[in-house]
Amino acid sequence: MIGIGFSIFSRATVDIPITLQTKQTIFKAGDNIVLRFTTNEQAVRLYCHSSYGVSILDANKDGKDVIFTIPDHFTSKKGVLNYKLVHTTKVVFEGVITIVANSETTTQLETYIGPPDITAGGKNHTMMVVIPTDSYDNPVEDSTSIKMKHQFLDTEKETIQFSKDFIGWERIFSFERSGRILASNEVNGTASKEFAIEVFSANAVDFEINYQRKHGYADGNQITTFTTSVIKDMYENIISDGTLVTFFVRNAKGMILKTNGTTVNGIAKGKLLHPDHMDQWEVKAYITGIAESTTLSLIYEQSTADFDVNFQNKNRRIRVGPLQSFMGQRMPDGAVITCLIYREGKYLETKTKTSSNGFVDFIVDEGFYPAGSYNFKIEGLGIHKEFKDVVL
Amino acid sequence: MTKSLKNKNLYRTLIIASFIALNIGILFGISQVLLYLNTGADRSSILHLSVQNEEVYLPKVIWQDTTNPGRPITRHTLEMIQSDYLKAWYVRNVAYMSNDPYGIDDFYTESARENIYKTIASHVSANIQVSATTLCHHLSLDFYSEDGQLAVFTDVNTKQYQRVYKDNVLELEHQIEASYKVVVLLEDGFWKVRHMVKELNPVIKDTISPYETPLITVKQNKIYIGENLFKMKGINYYPQQTPWDMFGDAFDIDIISEDFTIIKEAGLNTIRVFVQYEDFGKAKVKSEKIEKLQQVLDLAEVRGLKVIVTLFDFYGNYDVLDWTMTHRHAEQIVSYFKEHRAILAWDIKNEPNLDFENRGKITVLAWLREMIIQIKQYDPNHLVTIGWSDIESALLLEDQIDLVSFHYYQGLESFEEKYGSLITKTNKPIILQEFGLSSNQGLWNPFGASEESQAIYYENFQQILKKNDVHYLTWTLYDFENVPTEVSGSMPWQKDKQKYFGFIGINGNRKKAFKFISE
Repeated sequence: MIGIGFSIFSRATVDIPITLQTKQTIFKAGDNIVLRFTTNEQAVRLYCHSSYGVSILDANKDGKDVIFTIPDHFTSKKGVLNYKLVHTTKVVFEGVITIVANSETTTQLETYIGPPDITAGGKNHTMMVVIPTDSYDNPVEDSTSIKMKHQFLDTEKETIQFSKDFIGWERIFSFERSGRILASNEVNGTASKEFAIEVFSANAVDFEINYQRKHGYADGNQITTFTTSVIKDMYENIISDGTLVTFFVRNAKGMILKTNGTTVNGIAKGKLLHPDHMDQWEVKAYITGIAESTTLSLIYEQSTADFDVNFQNKNRRIRVGPLQSFMGQRMPDGAVITCLIYREGKYLETKTKTSSNGFVDFIVDEGFYPAGSYNFKIEGLGIHKEFKDVVL
Repeated sequence: MTKSLKNKNLYRTLIIASFIALNIGILFGISQVLLYLNTGADRSSILHLSVQNEEVYLPKVIWQDTTNPGRPITRHTLEMIQSDYLKAWYVRNVAYMSNDPYGIDDFYTESARENIYKTIASHVSANIQVSATTLCHHLSLDFYSEDGQLAVFTDVNTKQYQRVYKDNVLELEHQIEASYKVVVLLEDGFWKVRHMVKELNPVIKDTISPYETPLITVKQNKIYIGENLFKMKGINYYPQQTPWDMFGDAFDIDIISEDFTIIKEAGLNTIRVFVQYEDFGKAKVKSEKIEKLQQVLDLAEVRGLKVIVTLFDFYGNYDVLDWTMTHRHAEQIVSYFKEHRAILAWDIKNEPNLDFENRGKITVLAWLREMIIQIKQYDPNHLVTIGWSDIESALLLEDQIDLVSFHYYQGLESFEEKYGSLITKTNKPIILQEFGLSSNQGLWNPFGASEESQAIYYENFQQILKKNDVHYLTWTLYDFENVPTEVSGSMPWQKDKQKYFGFIGINGNRKKAFKFISE
């Protein structure tokens, strides 16, 4: 029956003469609310139902009247409070009062901003939602004006929103530049704190790559560094640090080598060891699914023209070397040489060793390789040598 | 010499016994220490899984509108908000019933839960307890934020049932409608209530349009099927092999079909069957059970039999916090069969007055009262009744039901007088929903009725029924070999009695009373 109309706020329901003396039906949160009834029947209690719960109150007698003091935890909360005067489980009178937010108290603000970071370009946006409350934690009345402010570089914007459904809210769109938007709001003279929204650059656009190396020889020892240009988005913002860039290298045989790096100030670096034989590399970098680079072509020249192979110790020790690099200097340690062993045309084993002081020694052990005729293939640094019918 | 030997043995026994006792004591002590060290919060409780997964509160929820100026909401998010909002109501109802804030933290934010704590504190000091449940929620979304962390919605005309106790005395029992505007925040994976403000109820028009012409109607004290006056001559039915488990694994529609032929050929036009609450799946009714019930009802329609379906058999909780679960149970069954032409009436519960003593009359009646409303809401086509166990209880809730039903196992001689008196007190049709006599003369009951006296009983009763034009249903078609303990009690003489109420014996032969199965 409450729903019938705003004008019907209270009525007696059973034939016990009861008059409500309290005429006020709208109270501010925090007000003292006392309901006074005139009735002959004093054995009554007051049931009340409010936003967060119910209670049943004992009457205080005051001459011919009974009075009920609504407890603080009800009077401080905004909302409709229905009450029923109960006599021996029967409702003898019912009514409703309305408690509104107390605009005289200091307004408190609860602000939610999200998402906390957005991308540049003006398409992406974040949202600032503020719930202004009175000091009893009641949402303020609808249509309270809320100043929404945000600043970016030289731009400062201020709009006025009116609260509805307890909240005020605003969409904040990004600008073309990346950076940081600062936002705040203000209601009834209470200002919120400062909120920051990170505007990250938008997606990268295609970029260039370059390389640095100490020399152009395929010595299997030095390192080639690939560097991107400063990668930017379509609005000229440098892309976010830490963006992963993958460098794909296709060599002369069509094999793929891969290295990667993450950007710092828009530049990513990837490193690869020089090949140990003459080769040609086609290099291209990708930010997977987003952007790609120009293609780079590199040539590595042969660094070692030839090396000697000596069979010693009744041919059971094969000494490769001295290995010499492009200036005739001794090859730095670590050059890889392999030795393939065949007997009567049948492949037996591959021995792989790295050089030390310019030499590699392969020992063909008696225990494994009984006396007989063997073929050996020595490979490394792009050089192939074959020795047939070596008798052990 | 013998004496000292005896003493020696005695001492030896004492020493061994005390040694064993000591060991038991030590082991018990150690186990208690270990047990103590193992108690405490289970680590999985950090995840709040128990609260999240249990379905304990299912009031009807209708989303009226989800368009909002913030951002479109997905169905999944909406379900999460709804689920947590209902749980917020549930934990609040539990908290006000027990005056213990258990679970409030999970569904109210730090500021909002203060309000609940204060209310609980005031209830504790004034010794107030509130048993409450909400029955339906009409939600509309007002706002959903861009980051998906905040939502505002309105819950209008929430129906709430409350019983308020002060000093353990019932002070007020009532139903109210209230509307709320609610702000919820997503915190720690829970949609928690941040603000909840009660508002004035808007006037909403009733969304359920009653049928213009229900299938079954009651005018004065007469039952009409369509335009035709209906006189009920019926029987309570269970298949012989599966009493009190009609829709179980041994369900066999062929047997039921044969039985329906027997019933129809005997001149009867109505059967009463029972739907067990747990067997049918409680709040989530199992589809296979619905299918079985459908087969039975379809068959009854073909055979020209009307069916009274008794719901909530073996249900006995009635607790306010369990209401919504039973409402969902009823909704699923009743709304599914609301158009079915075989059904005459929904019998809400068999003999609920027998639960008054254990569950409290107020509790049971309040549950029934609301259940009548729920069932009528989902099925305005069929009648509603309650099968009271004796004629003295027949008029309980008389103003809300369509048919007054009672069971009669008292003396034949006083029936006419009691029935005559009942007729004067109501203008609704009265159904003698169960009556009968067990022919259980035998080892456990040497003075019980024989098959002859059972036949005589029915012969006489049928005359009285015919004379007074009573709607009746006999108990029951078959003698049963096995009767569940829950039905009869565990004692052999109790079980024995329940076995021999039938018109057809365990061997399948028609007993002498069969002649009088119908007038």
